[in-house]
Amino acid sequence: MSPLPTIVHLDADAFFVSCELALKPELRGTKCAVGGRERGIISSASYEARACGVYTPMPTQRALKVCPDLIMLPHTSGLYSKVSHQMFDLCETLTPLVQRNSIDEGYLDLGPCGFADSPEIEARVRGLQHRLAAELQIPVSFGIATNKLVSQIASKLRKPRGFVVVPPGTEAAFLAPLAIGKLPGIGAKTEAALNARGLSLIGEIAGKTERELEALFGRSWREMRATARGEDERAVHTEREDAKSYSQQETFFEDVAEFAAIERVAKRMVDELLPKVREDKKRVRTMTVKVRYPDFTQETHGRSLAHATDLEAPFYPLVAPLLREAWTKKRPLRLVSVRFSNVEDGGQQLEMFAATDEKRRRLAGVLDQLNKGGRNAVVQHGHQLDAKKE
Amino acid sequence: MKFKINRDHFANGLAQVLNVVGSKATMPILSNVLIEAEKDQISLTTTNLDLGIRCKIKAEVKETGSVTLPVKRLAGIVRELPNVDVTFDGSPNHQVKLTSGGSTFRIMGIGKEEFPPLPEFGDEKAYALEQAELVMMLKSVAYAQSSDETRYILNGVYFNFKDGKLSLVATDGRRLALIAKEMDVPAASAGAIILPAKTVGELTRLLDKGEKVKINFNERRAAFQIATDKDTSGLIDHVYLYSKVVEGNYPNYHQVIPKETHQRIKLERELFLQCVHRAALVCSEKSNSVKVKLTSNLLEITAQSPDFGEAHESMAIGYSGPDLQVAFNPAFIMDPLRALTKDEVFFEVKDEVSPGVFKTLENFVCVIMPVRLS
Repeated sequence: MSPLPTIVHLDADAFFVSCELALKPELRGTKCAVGGRERGIISSASYEARACGVYTPMPTQRALKVCPDLIMLPHTSGLYSKVSHQMFDLCETLTPLVQRNSIDEGYLDLGPCGFADSPEIEARVRGLQHRLAAELQIPVSFGIATNKLVSQIASKLRKPRGFVVVPPGTEAAFLAPLAIGKLPGIGAKTEAALNARGLSLIGEIAGKTERELEALFGRSWREMRATARGEDERAVHTEREDAKSYSQQETFFEDVAEFAAIERVAKRMVDELLPKVREDKKRVRTMTVKVRYPDFTQETHGRSLAHATDLEAPFYPLVAPLLREAWTKKRPLRLVSVRFSNVEDGGQQLEMFAATDEKRRRLAGVLDQLNKGGRNAVVQHGHQLDAKKE
Repeated sequence: MKFKINRDHFANGLAQVLNVVGSKATMPILSNVLIEAEKDQISLTTTNLDLGIRCKIKAEVKETGSVTLPVKRLAGIVRELPNVDVTFDGSPNHQVKLTSGGSTFRIMGIGKEEFPPLPEFGDEKAYALEQAELVMMLKSVAYAQSSDETRYILNGVYFNFKDGKLSLVATDGRRLALIAKEMDVPAASAGAIILPAKTVGELTRLLDKGEKVKINFNERRAAFQIATDKDTSGLIDHVYLYSKVVEGNYPNYHQVIPKETHQRIKLERELFLQCVHRAALVCSEKSNSVKVKLTSNLLEITAQSPDFGEAHESMAIGYSGPDLQVAFNPAFIMDPLRALTKDEVFFEVKDEVSPGVFKTLENFVCVIMPVRLS
């Protein structure tokens, strides 16, 4: 029996905008985008807006210049992850093997579903596409092939509402006429460099000798040749990967020059990120602070504790020093971000002189309960009080 | 200055003072050893301002005097000299000519004037101890010192002369080792110091040269006079070690030593050490713990790391208490077992979140905090 195209890549079209349009259908067909107003960036734009030259990530100010009648929609907290869950839940009605790559994109493996032939697979996936549109009002593009690589390229080929099937055995022929930049790992710069050296289509790789390929791609030329042939052995992973870091950033409405104000924002981020660390039953060791100036140049500085922790208190003394180390130019800031990395789990070494830590942990547990549900904390630390006054 | 000296005695003397000099001395003179020739002996002194050592070696002094020379290179040269008889000839411009057999070296020195003198002690608190006993006590606790520089108070061994005994304590906040010895402590001489880790290392190294060691201290510094009466390689009189102490308040260690005994088992030290050592071979940085499980007359040790595999060890013990299981960092178990010399130790445990306690009959306690498994 010949192999069946059982690997499906799904990619929601303009996902954040689609989520908003599901709630505000009157905006359908308009040039609209989700993103920060004034000083933020566009995180998702409708296809009508894209036609005017709006792309992501583009500073909102620039987007409003190229498309003056752009309707800006603010981020709706919690909406996108809710819809994403519903979207993948519907996928799981088709197969249990669902890999969530990000909030709006993932893979399905229909291998174990026992479908008889390609037409049946196509019909089932079409059915899923219709359900997503009908029940969630989310347009999703699908690519169906024998492996992840080809299905992913296929799903992005005819957005929005794309549906591209690559029959088994035609992978190389399918890829051949596509621009080399469609391959994963080939960014705009590499593509331009390859074009300059006479390589613009994926199919042209097949015509090159091994020597030429090595000159073009260096040590990874074998992988590149396999990719160009549409070969990919990666399996669909259903387990969600553990977070490698926890981070948060804030772009200010106006540039901020006052140290105390920035310090307060950074401490609030500490207060908002550590509950997530505790919720995941992890501990973190390294804290990194990033500052961005109005001209988008940025600096970062990080420090590690001697031992990983799931408490806020050990990180508070690092906030001001890290901020001072990162914020070296005498200019106001446009953005500040806090990131926790060196994530640990597993057994926790208990401390001897740690009665205070245990008390803090109990207190944190109670606060986490009270503050459940995200950013609008019911109980806050004292260091946030000034922010309220302002 | 001019003297004749036995090469091996000279090399041995330099080896005693060599470690004090760091690779990144802040002043050039601190890379040097002060050599002073007196009647029938030379003395060698090094210091890094926090810690200093001086020893004396017998020599045939023809002309007294002093000079300082780069100690690392000098020690390297002396070790390699071809003949056992060495002549050391200093000139007023601090140049030294070293002759041995057919070898001659000329070495540039610096005058004694720039060398910071080691503080001498007056009326501080003073005690005399047996060298063998002090080194045993230091080895029993030194492994538990902290190397975390943010907890500098714990970067040393606490010497507490109080209530008719000397207690040595070390802790890194996750384990604590204590050993005590009864001795006469006059009320006026009671007191405590935190001896820095580097000094503890040097002291431990030096303590095998004779019977007695005298300790003097006040709240800022300590000095040890280590008798060299058992030494056969040229050292005479005593080795003098001076050290600043860690200033600050040592944590109240009494509060972390469990007052009550829960489940106590008697263990063959070597056997237990070997079992834990083998089980720990499968541990990794990310899963660095071994589980100790007690059931009726059986002790089991298990370890696992997700990406490698698992280990299981068992040993027969006398135990009739309830079944219980507790996980520890394997090093916390092995370090005290390695440092002790008795064949049998007692190990007390309570539950999976309470500390484990090693004890011997000689006033030794080591408290180790468990690893809480999620």
